[in-house]
Amino acid sequence: MEDALVKNNFITEGHPAPARHLVLWRPTAKTGLISWLTTVDHKRIGFLYGISALFFFLVGGCEALLIRLQLAVPNNDLLTAQQYNRMFTMHGTTMIFLAVMPLSAAFFNFIMPLQIGARDVAFPRLNAFSYWVFLVGAIIINLGWFMKDGPPNGGWFGYAPLTTRAFIPGHSIDMWVMGLQLLGVASIAASLNFIVTIINLRAPGMTMMRLPVFTWMTLFTAFLIVLAFPAITIALIELMMDRLFGTNFFEVSNGGLPILWQHLFWVFGHPEVYILILPGMGIISEIIPTFARKPLFGYPIVVFSGASIGFLGFAVWSHHMFTTGLGTMATAAFSLATMAIAVPTGVKIFNWIGTLWGGHLQMRTPMMFALGFVWMFMIGGFSGIMHAAAPADAQQHDSYFVIAHFHYVLIGGSLFALLAGIHYWFPLMFGRKVSEFWGKLSFWVIFIGFNTTFFPMHFLGLNGMPRRTFTYDSNMGWNEGNLIATIGALILGVGVAIYFGVMIYTYFKGERVGRDTWDARTLEWSLACPPPEYNYAVIPTVHERDAWWYEKHHQAEMEKEKAVHAKEEAAHGGIHMPFQSIYPFIASVGILIAAIGISVLDANPAPGIHLKLGTTLVGGVIMFIGIYLWALEGAPGYHIHPEPEKNSAASPKQEAHQ
Amino acid sequence: MSAPASPVHAAGHTPGESKFHIFVQLAMILSIITGVEIIMVYLPFAHWLLFGTLAILSAVKFMFVIFYFMHLRWDKVFCTVLFFIGLILAGGTMWALLKIFGADASKPLTMGYLHQAPSSIVQSV
Amino acid sequence: MSSTATVAIDHHHDPSTTTGIPNKKLLMWTFLASDCMFFGCLISTHLIYRLHPPPGNPSPREIFNPPLTSFSTFILLMSSLLMALAVNAIQRGNVRSMRHMLLGTIFFGCIFLTCQVYEFTDFVMDKHMTITNCILGSTFFTLTGTHGCHVAIGVLWLVLMYIRSFQPADVSTNRLWFGRTLLHIAGFIAAIGLTMYLVLDFVHMAQAGTLSGYLGKDALAIAGAIIAYIGLNLLTRTRGAVDFGEVNAIDVESMGLYWHFVDIVWIVIFTVVYLLEYI
Repeated sequence: MEDALVKNNFITEGHPAPARHLVLWRPTAKTGLISWLTTVDHKRIGFLYGISALFFFLVGGCEALLIRLQLAVPNNDLLTAQQYNRMFTMHGTTMIFLAVMPLSAAFFNFIMPLQIGARDVAFPRLNAFSYWVFLVGAIIINLGWFMKDGPPNGGWFGYAPLTTRAFIPGHSIDMWVMGLQLLGVASIAASLNFIVTIINLRAPGMTMMRLPVFTWMTLFTAFLIVLAFPAITIALIELMMDRLFGTNFFEVSNGGLPILWQHLFWVFGHPEVYILILPGMGIISEIIPTFARKPLFGYPIVVFSGASIGFLGFAVWSHHMFTTGLGTMATAAFSLATMAIAVPTGVKIFNWIGTLWGGHLQMRTPMMFALGFVWMFMIGGFSGIMHAAAPADAQQHDSYFVIAHFHYVLIGGSLFALLAGIHYWFPLMFGRKVSEFWGKLSFWVIFIGFNTTFFPMHFLGLNGMPRRTFTYDSNMGWNEGNLIATIGALILGVGVAIYFGVMIYTYFKGERVGRDTWDARTLEWSLACPPPEYNYAVIPTVHERDAWWYEKHHQAEMEKEKAVHAKEEAAHGGIHMPFQSIYPFIASVGILIAAIGISVLDANPAPGIHLKLGTTLVGGVIMFIGIYLWALEGAPGYHIHPEPEKNSAASPKQEAHQ
Repeated sequence: MSAPASPVHAAGHTPGESKFHIFVQLAMILSIITGVEIIMVYLPFAHWLLFGTLAILSAVKFMFVIFYFMHLRWDKVFCTVLFFIGLILAGGTMWALLKIFGADASKPLTMGYLHQAPSSIVQSV
Repeated sequence: MSSTATVAIDHHHDPSTTTGIPNKKLLMWTFLASDCMFFGCLISTHLIYRLHPPPGNPSPREIFNPPLTSFSTFILLMSSLLMALAVNAIQRGNVRSMRHMLLGTIFFGCIFLTCQVYEFTDFVMDKHMTITNCILGSTFFTLTGTHGCHVAIGVLWLVLMYIRSFQPADVSTNRLWFGRTLLHIAGFIAAIGLTMYLVLDFVHMAQAGTLSGYLGKDALAIAGAIIAYIGLNLLTRTRGAVDFGEVNAIDVESMGLYWHFVDIVWIVIFTVVYLLEYI
């Protein structure tokens, strides 16, 4: 894989780069804190995303439990109205941006390069940068918990003019805006990387129509991110300018139109929900064929449907605004487009069912979650179709019916798929398998808890219970529904606790496994569990879709090919590995400081504006230095020669530390 | 003087041949078009004609820059596809937004309220 | 004076990638597609607010300055030409020519920025349209200001690339190069800033008719500092082999793509924000 455009000094025979200036320090630690701060290994970065996501998932879950406890009985006083506003804002923001998206990113990072036969992503340091900026964004959003102004409290969609300075003068919204901007930067940077990787770093013979469906969904999600996030970037810039500098974007008295916020937000917000579900659909499309012992039914149409969903997702945003007086033409157009988007989604469901049909089903834990996904996502889809009819939506909008809908697609859909993915790829990542009994138990408790919580909400919504209200009177007819939902939430909490407990236990003491635990179909399973740092000792040649399945059934042919490739790579000097780097981390630290300057510090009481400007400037300079040195150090690497393949009985840890 | 335009190859590029002259000629064309645009807006033509011509001339400049200065003409077609996805989506979103806000339903109801003093609860930054 | 690669470089085909498109080029084009959506939404905001302008808002026709804006447009187009020529030069291994073209691009980019600063101060001071006192001000300044920030970032990138092209090939005998590089960057930025200040000051004084006071001590001192910096630059620049050559063409090309994109965004802004107001 000789890159003709890279400078000479990387073609060195196993030597580190020639003498460099002190400032351009080359970290080489493979273990310990520095190794994590400077890592550029996609597997480690995926792990970091995963751990962070799971942590914030628990935080978001606690916020949800508090909401449910407050609503368990009428006229409750567990939370004040103000505290309640913070809870639902943070629950939504946390779950969407700090739990589901990074958990998807964890899989994109760890699994996708392995599935295409690559050794890493196209820009390893940019990948690390994405993670660190994500962490900075997560910190900024949650800083409010520790501050006088409190965490964000304007809803996860931050509608103007509520979020303008006139109505929420404190810094809670500033931190929400700043945090979200940074999360956007992180997502866009990561997605650019994934797009280039999938297009350009595929193994020989891996044509686009031989890609695993999960990789296709990674590609579509990445496109959605880079094309949708700019809309919220603009919306947030306009809101920030209103709040910081007194512009008039949403200031009615000076000609501003708050409805513009809604449009810009949902131009982003609708593709965002497809960003949340497509990775899950990709995961399910890997799991179902594996455990049905059949290839995916209708692969081309599944891929094409994914593309259609992505594309149409940009044309339906105002279905979140049917009650804002868009006018007949606009309402009808968006209603039609929303109904249209159900078609490719339905097509996918039929294809999954087609995969199951006639298959030899193995009801392992990942399969249970996958089946749960198909069923629960369908239910969420049905309520979604009901929303698509604008007249019906006039009653459902802002009611608990909507909450039921999106929790069915987000928990029953995205979360189930992600939980399935954790079970499925756990052996690959950690070399251990989760016990079937405990895995299935966690599934059932979660399943029962989830349905008990959210099914009653359909009725609560149709009976008129509005969203985002901290309490209700006892004569509305909502008492039983809410109580059942709260009990369900507690059961769901127990289920999640079991799931987490099982994962932690398995990580340390679970049953060890060798390669290819599930006799799966895609390339990542050809590697040792966990994979070595360089992934593939020899880049595989792909002959067919489900490349690993092909390899397993054409072993003699593959042996010969691998021997030839191994010789070629050895002749080129071995496997090229990228150097680790501290600069993505340093740039992110600068961004953190600048973000605090912009969104946390007060302009007014002394030291006021000087401290604010000074902090922002210092942060900016550190960021600039980090980026500049990152550019200056260049991207040479070093070469290694892989050890001959050890058999699976060897300790996985040893292989990982080669 | 070297040949004006580089012949389109299978790879789309003749290695070693400088595009200096193409670029300079193109810059001159772009300047002329800009000049025409500026003069045009002062001419007493119908609104729709001016609007249409301006749009077309801008689009022509736009395309020249991306296909020549930005090299898309000689690069793999996938780069063009990639950029046009973003361009078309942005254009479509812009068109839809303007259509919505231009509709009767989106006309601000009354301008009267804008003459009132800013609300007392609006705080200065 | 450029380090040559061991293989002839085809600048349009990278054999190590699946499609043949160099990774950095693909990255930049995808980023530009994203930036299209970014500016699309910002321009939409401006146009939406032009649909039903509230009474009392200044009218663009009364405050815009067509000759100035036309001049800026022309300047930006010429800077695009110079950028394309810079890329062309480095793809042929001609580092010296690339440097000259980069300097030209920087120069024209700074002229554009100066014109924009002039326009902004004119609107604020003389036409009394600020970013806060009317919706037109908010949308106009945010849109053109964001574009201006993109230009400024581009100029910064160009300056850094220019200075990078002087990095000595052998760092062990040029131990001070890093410190000198930082000083160069600081000096270059300062020189740009001061020159812009001098020029704007000159223009304002010429308009106010107080030009005779212009050649006071301050102006001479600043001009002297700028000339001294340039002179120092020319005298102390790296002689001998530099660590920059045809292999770096991809980086210059990526930067060029960004710069041209900023130009085409301006083509759109010029048409819909300025020209459309006059028809």
